[in-house]
Amino acid sequence: MRPTDLILRAWPSPLASAPPPPPGTRPSWAGHPRALAIAAAMIFFTRLGIAQTPPSGNQPATYAGSEACQMCHEDIYKAFQKNPHIAVEKDKKRGFETRACESCHGPGSKHVESTSAADIRNPAKLPVAEADRGCLTCHLNQPTQVGRVQSGHARNQVSCVSCHSMHKSAEELVPRRRAAINAECSTCHLSVWASFQRPYKHKLPEGAMSCVDCHNPHGSVLPHSIRTVSANEPGCLNCHGDKRGPFVFEHAPLRLEGCATCHEPHGSANPRMLTRQEVRFVCLECHANTPVTAATSHTLGGVPPSFHDLRSPQFQNCTVCHMKVHGSNVSQELLR
Amino acid sequence: MRAWWLLLAAVPLAAQDATQTPAAPETNAASPVTQAEKTITGSVDLGYRWFSGAGGSLDTYRSVVDIGSGVRLLGLDLSLESAAKKYFDRINVRGSGWGGDPYNTAHVDAVRHDWYNFSFDYRNIAYFNFMPSFADPTLGNGIFLNQQSFDTHRRMMDFELDLRPGKWIVPYLAYSHDSGFGTGISDFVSGLNSYPVEDKPRDATANYRGGVRVEMKKFHVMLEQGGTTFKDDQQVFTSTQNFGNNTTPILGQQMFLNDLTQAYGVRGDSIYSKVLLTANPTPWLDVFGEFLYSRPTTNVNYSQFNAGQFADLATLLFYTSELDLVSAAAKQPHTTGTIGFEIRPMKRLRVIESVMTDRLHNASSAAIHQQILPLVFDPSAFSTPGALPIFTDRLVMNYNREQVDALYDLTSRITLRGGYRYEWGDGLTDGMLISGLPTETGQLKRNVGLAGISYRALQKLSFSIDFEGASGDGAYFRTSLQNYEKARIQARYQVRQSLTLAAGFSVLSNQNPDPTVKYDFLSRDNSVSVMWNPNNGKWVTVTGEYTRATLRSDISYIVPQDFTSAQSFYRDNVHDASTLVDLLIPGFGAKGPKLGMGGSLLLSSGSRPTQYYQPIMRLTTPTYKRMNWYGEWRYYGFAEPFYLYEGFRAHLLTLGVRVGL
Repeated sequence: MRPTDLILRAWPSPLASAPPPPPGTRPSWAGHPRALAIAAAMIFFTRLGIAQTPPSGNQPATYAGSEACQMCHEDIYKAFQKNPHIAVEKDKKRGFETRACESCHGPGSKHVESTSAADIRNPAKLPVAEADRGCLTCHLNQPTQVGRVQSGHARNQVSCVSCHSMHKSAEELVPRRRAAINAECSTCHLSVWASFQRPYKHKLPEGAMSCVDCHNPHGSVLPHSIRTVSANEPGCLNCHGDKRGPFVFEHAPLRLEGCATCHEPHGSANPRMLTRQEVRFVCLECHANTPVTAATSHTLGGVPPSFHDLRSPQFQNCTVCHMKVHGSNVSQELLR
Repeated sequence: MRAWWLLLAAVPLAAQDATQTPAAPETNAASPVTQAEKTITGSVDLGYRWFSGAGGSLDTYRSVVDIGSGVRLLGLDLSLESAAKKYFDRINVRGSGWGGDPYNTAHVDAVRHDWYNFSFDYRNIAYFNFMPSFADPTLGNGIFLNQQSFDTHRRMMDFELDLRPGKWIVPYLAYSHDSGFGTGISDFVSGLNSYPVEDKPRDATANYRGGVRVEMKKFHVMLEQGGTTFKDDQQVFTSTQNFGNNTTPILGQQMFLNDLTQAYGVRGDSIYSKVLLTANPTPWLDVFGEFLYSRPTTNVNYSQFNAGQFADLATLLFYTSELDLVSAAAKQPHTTGTIGFEIRPMKRLRVIESVMTDRLHNASSAAIHQQILPLVFDPSAFSTPGALPIFTDRLVMNYNREQVDALYDLTSRITLRGGYRYEWGDGLTDGMLISGLPTETGQLKRNVGLAGISYRALQKLSFSIDFEGASGDGAYFRTSLQNYEKARIQARYQVRQSLTLAAGFSVLSNQNPDPTVKYDFLSRDNSVSVMWNPNNGKWVTVTGEYTRATLRSDISYIVPQDFTSAQSFYRDNVHDASTLVDLLIPGFGAKGPKLGMGGSLLLSSGSRPTQYYQPIMRLTTPTYKRMNWYGEWRYYGFAEPFYLYEGFRAHLLTLGVRVGL
């Protein structure tokens, strides 16, 4: 036994309660003893004093196979046959062939003997981070997970199983129908869903869109988990391609702070989902003509100043003339 | 539409193919999907909808609801399971709103295990917008100005094909197409007048991409290369005399437009690259990074001819026709990178660190040739004196963010979170020549403290608090987040198997204390919801939600015409409630008719008071084994006390049949 083995045994990882690898699987650190020793040495000192003793006592449980689970959990077993995770049951490369149930629940021999819930690992009752580690054993390295640790869901301990029903069909595992997706999200985001009851909104209640058309619930480089398209463009441009540009004469807020500078994307009582009841207030709050002070000398929006007589009906709505407010290819004043 | 019918036609063919194929030998005896099982399942909803007509403003009804009469394929949801599994394992087909609804959708998924995943998505969404109060807030006083309005469609298609899904190396290809077309009313602006003219917007974007996902046990890499093409052929024209919005003569001359042709020939393209990496080299460390790069460009050829009587106020020149030719180009390299890691030095502690940078530089130039024919012919004025043929423009945005979070599992049920984020960046707009527009710079500096707690008292009770507090030294815009506090509380309690309660509260308070700005923003959302479905909803299901949202925004500005200081006030106080009760009508047994009642209401007061009612009632009656008749009544009632002329009322009655397969 190598010293590094001793260190690792004294420090159970978050996956300590995860099932041991199947027989014959080579440990991941095998062949890299030096790197592992360095890493272990780095963490060893931080672990002093809090090292936990390994579970002791009984003989560890062993794998019983999925068919043993089927004996009692027939309904779950049947439903699971239509779940994409059935691939684990059949795929030799993943190391859980014929024991897909135990890939998440851990070795089940003791539970088979005793039928006691205490003898089986139940991810739903584990701390969120620990339960998620079970899923992330396979799914960490997935495209949708790249920014996962940055997402609000991950930070707020919203576990994978909060949205994904593991035992059910493919449709219930990952909702695909737009109405199902929206229902899933709105169970927590109550006030957001309420915004879609307003008269001017995106067509989510009608089933033409879903929350994941604009958001990536697993995380994104953009705030609010906004989905990106064409590498790093905000997801809004996926449908509003005419606003993509680049424009010869850009309107800075679009690029610097996005569509939500002027629009309420979920819904508004104001036409065109504007943040204000009339267009001129949306514009004037930035193009305010106020004198530049030390504090505002590094604020955009003073140029150009607004100079029209707002008492004239003609100038009550800026976008009647400044039509190309999202950016123009012809006019610096965004007139055409 | 043709593609859709072809698809529908293919459904029975596919089913026939599957049923005629001899049953394959059973490879997995445990599989409950036996060969005798049906290969096609799902349902089709067909119906006829009557629209009562809109009482009040039809334009507003069309801008908000826009549902009409006629035969509709209201919904379609089919799943084909192949017994032979030769070409596919399963195909799912879904669709809704066909036959004239303002949003038609279709979706197809085809899967063959270990071979491919294919998906196709189609959407055609109608956008009608003619809101009198939008362009002309003074309409209530009897002043009628022109509108910006449109009656357009956006049509979107997405194809995606993953090859060998679930394997270590997964190549994929995808194609998307997005187009917009229709008609509208736009404005032609000249001098101090603006003229409503016909507008035909027409644009299309195509996106091609392909890549490979390498999914190893310890790391994952995704490489994607893509490109887009874009075209915008918007045309604006008129050939009737038009006196515009400003009918007041200028120096005794009446301005008018007789003819106009504007043609936009905009072509754009972009290439982009995407590299994503995640790795968990050790059990206590996850590393992730993204590199995203795009370089969109635009080339513009624009021509305009207008005839009538116009004035150039700068030179006090009156002229009768104008020819403008514009040739322009823009380029916008955009680079985004992020890198981070999650380290778990102790079992209960996780530390997440990430750094992000986002850099966008837009550089453009335009050559503008303008030729005017003066009212009084003057050869020296024939080509506009002093016209500036070359315009250049620049926009720069550099944004950076660093964030560190620490999450600590105090107990197995309580997780504490604390963190810090620093955001900094700069923005620059630079209309370099010309027009006297000076360079503007914006700077962002923000320190943000983060905190949170998640508590799961029981499996059935969860509770979380999330807080952000920021202090900013600079912001891009006057209305940007500067000194703000943001908090959110969410709770969820499953009282019993059939009863779930949820509540949410969020608040955002933002201030910019500069005396020339005096921005004060406060929004609060309070929501509760209840779901009750005794006996798994066998007899009755009740869902209800109520939200109280308030928003207050004050910011100062200078009134342009008299340079006095004023405040822009915005208030929005909303009550929003929605409910749905599904009830099995007693006396007919468990498979008897069902009655659904509910709807939503919105009552808002403040800067734009609005009342919006959407009650609904639905009766579903089983007839044959797999067939249900249903009838649905909906009512839409919309009123705005400040804009009474925009209110509407409408009834919609739908009768239909749902056929199960």
